[in-house]
This record gives sequence, structure tokens and C-alpha cells, in this order.
Amino acid sequence: MVVGIPKGLLFYKYHPFFTTFFRELGSDIIISPDTNKDILDEGVKYCIDDACLPIKVFHGHVAYLKDKCDIILIPRIIQVREREYICPKFCGLPEMVKNSIPNMPKIVDMPMYIISWKKLYPWAINAGRMITTNKSKIKKAFDTALKEQENFKLILKDSDKQITVAILGHPYNIFDNYINMNVVKKLNKLGVGVVTEESLDEKIIDEEIKHLYKRPFWTFARNAYGFASNIYKDNKVNGIIYISSFACGIDSVVIELIKNRIGDFPFLTLKIDEHTGEAGLDTRLEAFIDMLRRSKR
Amino acid sequence: MKITAPHLGNVYIALKALFDGLEIEYIIPPLNNKEALEIGSLYSPEEICLPYKIMIGNYIQAIEKGADTVILTGSCGPCRFGKYAEMQMNLIKKLGKNLDFIVIDSPGDIGIRELFNRINRISTNSKKAKINQLDALIKAVRIMNLIDEIEEKAHFLAGYEKNKGQCKRILNSCKRDALNTKNPKEMLEVLEEYKKELENVEIDKDKNPIKIAIIGEIYTIIEPFANMYIEDKLMDYGVSTKRRLTPSWWVKDTVLKPTRLNSLAIRNNAKCYLPVGIGGHGIECVGEAVLAQKEGFDGAIQIFPLGCMPEIVAKAILPTISREKDFPIMSLVVDEMTGEAGFVTRIEAFIDLLERRRKNVLFRS
Repeated sequence: MVVGIPKGLLFYKYHPFFTTFFRELGSDIIISPDTNKDILDEGVKYCIDDACLPIKVFHGHVAYLKDKCDIILIPRIIQVREREYICPKFCGLPEMVKNSIPNMPKIVDMPMYIISWKKLYPWAINAGRMITTNKSKIKKAFDTALKEQENFKLILKDSDKQITVAILGHPYNIFDNYINMNVVKKLNKLGVGVVTEESLDEKIIDEEIKHLYKRPFWTFARNAYGFASNIYKDNKVNGIIYISSFACGIDSVVIELIKNRIGDFPFLTLKIDEHTGEAGLDTRLEAFIDMLRRSKR
Repeated sequence: MKITAPHLGNVYIALKALFDGLEIEYIIPPLNNKEALEIGSLYSPEEICLPYKIMIGNYIQAIEKGADTVILTGSCGPCRFGKYAEMQMNLIKKLGKNLDFIVIDSPGDIGIRELFNRINRISTNSKKAKINQLDALIKAVRIMNLIDEIEEKAHFLAGYEKNKGQCKRILNSCKRDALNTKNPKEMLEVLEEYKKELENVEIDKDKNPIKIAIIGEIYTIIEPFANMYIEDKLMDYGVSTKRRLTPSWWVKDTVLKPTRLNSLAIRNNAKCYLPVGIGGHGIECVGEAVLAQKEGFDGAIQIFPLGCMPEIVAKAILPTISREKDFPIMSLVVDEMTGEAGFVTRIEAFIDLLERRRKNVLFRS
């Protein structure tokens, strides 16, 4: 049996778990390639037009995989922290895909609560049953996958450059280099170092979000706000770049909250969608970095 | 303290009754209008959804009339509405205006004590005894239910009425007269009267009008300005409409939520298309589409503001329902740039389509 794993959305954060789990269950796995023009085009073709770019790209990955596997993983990740969500679209992701792409193979679409490993176990049992009936095998695969996941850290950090900027946004926008047009590489080329939110301790974030009137109920909004607030307070970086996909509801809120907190601190919002022109993005990046350089002098 | 609240359909009528009963000074912002939307779009973040922008317009216009406190409900769902209060506070402060926010949030998040504190901030302004305050609240809820009932009836009977435009006229004068009353008791009487009048509307039972269900995001379907007065237009066309989501439904749903007994029919019908809650009113939208088909409606119109996350998921699912049940559903997206002419064309085309499906054209005959 071949399990297809689309390389989109939170794959970037949880791929050690997903790949190890299904490999240990004894199935072959196929992972879609890095996002490219074909995948994006397929995604735009199938997905409803109101959705944001990462969702469209995810549709493209699924479309690439659907004829190459017997069963496909569409993670319905509802929560990764207690009383917080990711985005309404994540909760309905399997439905969006199922109803937009015809002739889908079987789907692993059980809800996932990655709040604690214990809460994730029911998902593993249900998903594992689609492949094997051997319960102890599922348990073993789950444990191995957890270990892999725990050893994995999604960190982007090279701050030994003269100028450092913090990159904010949903992980799938920061780490999918096709979506964001290699923004990190471009920054490095300009002699700029980057840091991302994963380098920050949970406790510090908890401390920072006390500035808010109401607790944020989206995990990535919480992280982005906490991180931005912290680096602003300690003046750790020269500027902040927020990579946001067009029509992202969460970004529209959190960007406002961050701007409200950091005042005049250099802040650049990079909007990306399927039409973004690379030249325009380059110009904006260069202008932003020029500005940071001048203010340093 | 002069209290105000953003508009949501007919809620202002119930709020008027409540504050009249409590004898608290209040300001009803001017009914939603172009200017409110323009003010809102000017100051709001570009990508936020339409309700936010209209609400900002409401606040500014209410401040101009002297309001200094606003009441707002909150939520902690995955939908953006839960964050409105905080963003709007920041925005109003940045604009240099003085407006206190009283956010009525779910006790699960702010604690029951804080909730009572916040409610107390309103009720301490009332000189009435506690028992009379409670009476005012109960009357306000009754008024809310009554006005929703009247509206629902008028919308539905519009397809059957013998004298064209009668239902619409009754509905409009009902709202006008309700606003001119002095206290909740008087308002209840007025509403009861209009309810009776509506029951006596001459109807043509042989008529078989086009029936359309209005589904989608709660603000944009309840607030007529946000959807270009679609229900009024459909009444003019002699189409019967039904909309399940109303302010009184919302109150009932919110109160019953902890028991999980809220809107069972909707959730059960949505189950095979959308098994889990996705925040906002995504499940309701899907469930209502299925229900509308079962109840013999000719079609459904989904309305939501640009970028509304739960409704986007619902929109992806609706074509499947439409295909499997042979049930036409049209999605309309509204934002501050929506042009009325384009909107009307689409509605008319949709009605034409529904009529032709019956092989019997009676539109405007």
C-alpha cells in the first residue's frame, strides 16, 4: 500500500512524524516534490478561488499525488495547543479537498489534536487501522515517529551578520521557498541574517501576550505576536518582515496587533499570492534593507 | 454614560426597548449607510472583513451623536470576530476618540465573575430596581423574538400576497412604529398588532412562488445594508425567502451551546458533508443548504464577506451538495467594493434559472 503525503501546510513542521509513522507501519510512502509551477497551477485550477495561497498550493500537492497512491494523508489539524486553533480552513481541509478534486483515493482525515502526545494517540490508532490491523505495530510506529519528531527542530537562525531581521508568518509561508520566492536566500545575499519565532521559548511568549486585552486563540498568531513583541522590547533585531498570504484572515488581525505594539519599529509586510511578481518583491526587500542600513549609520 | 451598540439587523429595536426599560441613556447609531461604510473602510485594516468596517462606521457616527460607551459581544472561536473588540479598541484610541468598550464574552474565557462585572457596569447606570431590570431584559428578549418572527413571516408571505408589496409595507411601518415607542410595554403592543396585521394579509394559496433559502455568514445575511437589501429585493420579485439565522436564533444557540443541544437539525444534516465544527457559522451554512433542499426550496443563496474563513470552507462543499441533491446554490461575496448593478444581475439570473427549472415562467407576470 502506498501512502501519499502532500508537502504543504504544516508538513514543514510535522514531516518527521508523518513520514516515520507511515513508514514504520510498513507502507510505502510517496511525498510530493517541493512546490513548483506545475503544482501551483494545479492547485489554482482545483481550489476555490477565495482560498489563500497555501491552501491552493496544498490542493496542488494533493492533485499531484492522487493517482500515485492508494491512500492520502490530509491532516485535519484542529489544535496544537489547548484552547487554541490554527485556522478554520484547517478544520475543514479534508472537505475542501474532497469536494474540489475529483477521483480522490481514500483519505486519512481524522481530526488531530497535537496538544500532547496522548491526545494524538487516538488519531494514530484510527489512521493506523486503515493500513494494518496489528495494534502493537501501530503503537510501535507511533512511538518511533514521536521520537523522530522530538529530535526535529524547525529553526532558521543565522544572526552573525551585521543586520538581522526577524521573519514572521505561518511556517508554511516561511519554509516553502517557492511560495515566498526564496526570501531567506535573497536576504542572505543582501548580507542580512534572519531569525524565526521557533527560536523563542514558550514561556517568554506567554509573558509577552499579556500585553493583549484578550488572549489570542490562534497558535501561530500567538507565536508571531509574542515573538515580535519580545524582539522589539529587547531590540534584538534591526527589523521585522512578515510574510503573509493574501486574504489570510489571521494575518489581517495579527499584523494590526503587532503594529500597534511595536509602533515605529521597522516592519515590512510581504503579501504573497499566486500572482506575486518576483521583481516587485525584490525591490521591496532591497528598499527595506537599505532603510535599515541607513538608520544604522 | 451614553451607551451605543453596532448594528446587526433588527437588534437595535430590542436594544432600544432594553435601555428604555432600564432608563439608561443610549444612542442608536444611524442605520447602516454608505457613509458609515466609507468611514469604516478609511480607517480599518485593508484585509479585515466587511462587518468590522461597517461597525467602525457605526462607532464613529455614534460618537458624533454623543455616545461614550459601546457594548459588543465576543467569542473565542477560530473566527476573526473574537478579535474585533481588541482591534477596534486600539483603532478608536488611535483615532483619538473616547469610547469605552464593554465586551460581553463567554464566561469560559473571562471567568463568570468578570462577566458579571462587565454586565454590572451597564446595570449600575440604571436607577430601576433589580426586579424591574430583569423585567426589562425579558421584555427585550421577547421583542427580539417577536420582530424576528414578524420579519420571517413577511419574507415568506411576500411570495403569496395578493396585493403586491403589502408585506414589505407592513414590515417597514412596523419597524418605524416600533422605534417611536416610549417603553418596552408599548413596543410589545405595537409588535403584536403588526403580527396580527400580517396574519390577515390576503394570500393566494394557489400561487407557487419561487422559494429561496438565504444562508451564509451571520452578519452579512442579517444586516440588510451588507447584502444590498437582498431580502427586500426578493420580496419585490415576489419570491418567498427564509433565513434561519436571526439574532434570536443566535441568542438561543449561544445559551444552549454548553449542552450541545443547539440547532440539532442543522448539525445533523451537515454531518455527512462537514463532520466537525470549523468556527463561525460554517456548519450552519452547510446544514441549512441540506435542510432547504429537504424542505422543498427551489434554491439557496450563500452570502459572505470577502475572506471569511469558515464560509470559504462551506463554499468548497456547497457545489457537492448542489450536484448530489440537484439543488441550485449561488454564492455571493460582498465587500466594500460590491457594485449593486452586478449584484442585482446575478440575483435576477438566479431567479430566472430557478423558474426555468420548473418549466413555468411566472417571474414578473
